[in-house]
Order: sequence, then C-alpha cells, then structure tokens
Amino acid sequence: MNVLAQAGAPRAGAPHPTRREMAANAWRTFRTAARLGFQIEANWTDPLPFLVYAVIKPVFAALILVVMLEIISGGRADPAFRAFIVIGSALWSIVVGGIAGFAQSVLEDRERYRMLKYLYVSPNDLVTILLGRGIWRLAIGAFGGIVTLSLGVVVLGLPFALERIDWALLFIAMAMGIVSIIALGMMLAAVSMQTRQDAWQYPEAVAGAIFLLVGAVFPLVVLPSAVQAVGLLTPLTWWLEGVRKALFPDIVTAIGGAGSLYSGLTGRAAPSSAEILLVLLLTTGLVTLAAVLMYRWSEHRAKAGGLFDLTTGS
Amino acid sequence: MSERSAAPPSPFVSRPTASPADAARWSPRRILITNLRTISGRAYPRVIGMMREPSWLFFEILLPFLTTSAFVFVYRALQAPPEYIGFVVLGGAMTAFWLNVMWLMAAQLYWEKDQGNLELYFTAPMSMMSILLGMAIGGLLMSCFRAAVVLIVGTVLYGVVFSVDQWLLLLLVFLLTLTALYGLGMVLATLFLLWGREAWHLTQLLQEPVYFVSGLNFPVARLGVLGAAAISTIPLAVGLDAMRQLAFAGSVHTDGFLSPEVEALILVVMAVTFVAIARFLLQVIERLARREGRLTMRGS
Repeated sequence: MNVLAQAGAPRAGAPHPTRREMAANAWRTFRTAARLGFQIEANWTDPLPFLVYAVIKPVFAALILVVMLEIISGGRADPAFRAFIVIGSALWSIVVGGIAGFAQSVLEDRERYRMLKYLYVSPNDLVTILLGRGIWRLAIGAFGGIVTLSLGVVVLGLPFALERIDWALLFIAMAMGIVSIIALGMMLAAVSMQTRQDAWQYPEAVAGAIFLLVGAVFPLVVLPSAVQAVGLLTPLTWWLEGVRKALFPDIVTAIGGAGSLYSGLTGRAAPSSAEILLVLLLTTGLVTLAAVLMYRWSEHRAKAGGLFDLTTGS
Repeated sequence: MSERSAAPPSPFVSRPTASPADAARWSPRRILITNLRTISGRAYPRVIGMMREPSWLFFEILLPFLTTSAFVFVYRALQAPPEYIGFVVLGGAMTAFWLNVMWLMAAQLYWEKDQGNLELYFTAPMSMMSILLGMAIGGLLMSCFRAAVVLIVGTVLYGVVFSVDQWLLLLLVFLLTLTALYGLGMVLATLFLLWGREAWHLTQLLQEPVYFVSGLNFPVARLGVLGAAAISTIPLAVGLDAMRQLAFAGSVHTDGFLSPEVEALILVVMAVTFVAIARFLLQVIERLARREGRLTMRGS
C-alpha cells in the first residue's frame, strides 16, 4: 500500500494536490501538532498537579483583584462590580493562554528543541503547525477561566442564573473573540521570529498591556479619552462586553457609562447586543488581516535573514 | 641550561608544577580572580544581549508599566485612597526583581542543561555560585532599569506622594530584599534542576500566587494568617511590607505586619539562610553531576 498516497500526498501523475488533499494534509498537520502541543503542556507531571497548574494562575489573578475590591469597600463591595472583576479576570486567562501559545511555540522550537528550521522546510504550512501547537495553551487558559468563574459563582456568590444566559450572544461573541485572540497570538509569533531567546515574557507583557486598554477589570470610563478610543478599536473590549452581557445581563458596562467616550459619541448608556457583535466582527476582521500581513512579512524576513536556525541563548 | 627551561612557555600553564595534584592547588588570589572573571563572563551576554536588541525596552519596560497602570486604574475605579496607588507603583517596581529572579535565575540552570552548557559549568574550575551571581548581575541591570522606570514614571504620571523619614533604612531594606531574593533564586535554581520538572511551569506556578500572598498591591497584613506565612518565608512579602511602611510613613493605610526594623532583621536572616542553603545545594548538585553524570543529560 502506498503510505504517502494514503496520507494525502499528491497522486502519481498529478503535479499538484487537489484542494481536498491539501485540506486533508492541513488537518493531519494540525492534529499532529496539537497532539505534540498537548504532550509538551501536560506530560511533565501527573493529571492532578497539572489541573492545579492550569487553574492556579487565573484563580490567584482574580483573588488579587477581589481582595483589592474587598479592602477598599470594607467588605461591602457591590456584587455587580465583583462579578465584573471576576468575569474579566477569568476571561483574561484565555487571552494570556491564547496569545502566549503561538509565540512560545516559535521560541521553544527555535531555541529549545531547535526544530523550527526543520519544521519550516517540511512540506507543511508553519502557520498550521503553530496553530496546532498553540491551541492547547488556549484550551488550558479556557479551562482555568471556567474554573475561576465557577469558583466566583460558588464561593463569592456571583448572581449567576442559567436561564438568563443569552446563548446566541455568548456563542457568537466567544467564537469571534477566539479568532481575535488567535490573530493577536499570530502577531506575537511574528514578533518572536525576530527576537532573541529572552522573549519568553513578551506574550505576558503584551497581554498585560492590552489588559489596561480593554476594560477587563475596570470600566473604560476611568481612562483618558484617547486611551478609551484605542480600547474601543480593540476586538477584545467588545468580546469581553459581549460575554459579560451574555452571562450576567445586569452587569456593569465596561464600554459605556456616564462620562465615557462611547456615551459621548453615541448618546447611549451602553451598547446593545447587536452593536457589540457588529463592532466585534469589524475589529476582529481588521486584526486578523493585520495578523496575516504581519506574519507573512515576518516569515519572509526570517527566511531571508536565516532567523529560523538562529539560537540566541543568553 | 636544562632542556625543560629552554622550551617556550605554554599558554595553558600558569606556573610550572611538579605534579597534577600540585597544579590543582590554587592560591586564594587565583581562585578569587577566576571567580570574578566567571561573574563578569556570565553577566556579559546578558548585558550585551540588551544592547544588541533594544526591543526589550518596549516589551520589558513599557508594556509591564502598562500592566502596573491597570491596577492603578482598578483603584481609581474603586475611588481608593491615594496611598493605594502608591502601593501599586511600589509593587510594580518590585515585580521586576521577582520576575528576574524566577525567569533569569531559578529556571536558568535547567535551561542551561537543555542547551548543553551545564556540563561545561560543572567541569570548569569555578564556583557555581559565581555563575549564578553573574546571571544575577547581568539580569539586575535590566530589572533596576525597569523598576526605576515604573517608580519614576508611575510617581509622576499618577501623582504618588511618598513620605520617607528614614532614607537609610529604606535603602538598607531594599538591598536586603534583593540579597534575600537572589539567594532564594539560587536555591530555586538548584531545586528546579534536582526536581527535573519543567522549569517553565514551575516558574509560572510561582508568579500570581506569590504576588497574591506577598501583598503586591495591598498591605499583606490584610491577609491574616496567610500574610504571616508569607512574611516568614517570602523575601518579596517582607521587603514590600517594610518598604511600604517606610515610603508612606505616617499613613494610616500602610497597615504594617511588623515594624520595619524587625522586618529588616527578618530579611537579614533570610538572606543568610538562603545563601547558605544555596551553597549547600550547589555542592550537592555538583557532586551528583560528577558522580552520577545524570544532571547534565539533556532532554529529560
């Protein structure tokens, strides 16, 4: 049996693979890279310590904010604001995991395993490999986020009611949000191709900076107007707003509110669900386009400059 | 003239000796100079790496400053007293050192093993502490710069008003905190290597939980028993608590766990203990590496 033909390689006599064969190849590459990514992420320890590892970061990040809130309010914090902070913090673990996954795959394969050059010359698309490698960090971040949110409901008594969830808004906002997180991750992967080994902390630094702009744990209204404008152009702002609104319909808005740039421009107190989805779609499209262009440029520059087989240990 | 004295001097021989055992006996001066060279040699790539790639200025100075700013805005949204903004700025500055200790020290021996450098370190005639000290000094420059930027820009931008009565004690506490932190970094570097687990994940595990129990953005005394546990084990918690009391003297919000003088003494004990433990553990891993040859194996 011809193993190559079975695996989706070009048929004898056919110079180029068909679209179906290309799709099969891409799927196989993605699956293999995802499996490898899972092994790298998870097989360093037993399942229980791994689960603790997956949740400890988002849970403690949320705890820091909750304690800040409780100290200032003297233990009489507004439940709506507590929910606002916990959801923002929980969702942020998806962002950190998603953004870090792709960039760190580049760094790990180049600096640590020294396989990036081989992966690049293999007949697979590097983007597909990076997507497969990075997807598990995103999934681990999502798991941490769900646990944080559940702890918030169970331990902190967040006003959560299953029957009040706007499922359509939740799914659509979540899907577009994940696309925009992946796009940001690809941008950072493009940056990592150009930087030295010590770029391990860059993804978290970038995520931390975006944290300021998107109203993850405080309403945008407290920021200067110019910074609010940047926040309104970021898809993650609208994603957070959409998911918050879908899960907790009575929650504080991060975008609108008295004195906010949004309310000043539109005259409305808070964006509607349709408005959130429309702006999320537009901003996600723009960020994805920018990520594709940036990644292609970086890949070209890395190839021309021999950066794929450069190790920069310091 | 004998045949031996006529031969040209070898660049590999520092002094003529009668036997290999005699050659292995080094004078204290030579040991000192070799270790000083080791420190500067290990610090060199870190410092030069910074100069050659200025992108770190953006990624490791500006962006972390924005992260610190996010917590400032959380307090502003909560209409917290102005001292709390100062606590965030001070905590943001000190995270630079914690991150440096964790990423560029604790995890480093493990990564050196991965890169194949560790066996060279063990076979070279120098102290492992000198290598770790070189790493610390190389990374410290970047951390000091980052901490200074967060402190100065944060103070100016967010209008933080410090009220310091005891400058000398504040400086002493800061230096003691750094010494204890880097001592802890050396201990963790050996432990990460001995555990043989993923240094990356262990480092991640010691980030947010330590920020929380150290009271990075709020007085650690508010955490009760947890805060007491942190004060007795984590240099960052003690140092921050003392510095907060000294930098905002007279404020009712600093809520110190112990007096700054007592906390300075705790830091002295921590510094001595951590450095002594690190010295012992480094000797253990050196012995293990030479006897069993497994510690330096890559790809475990």
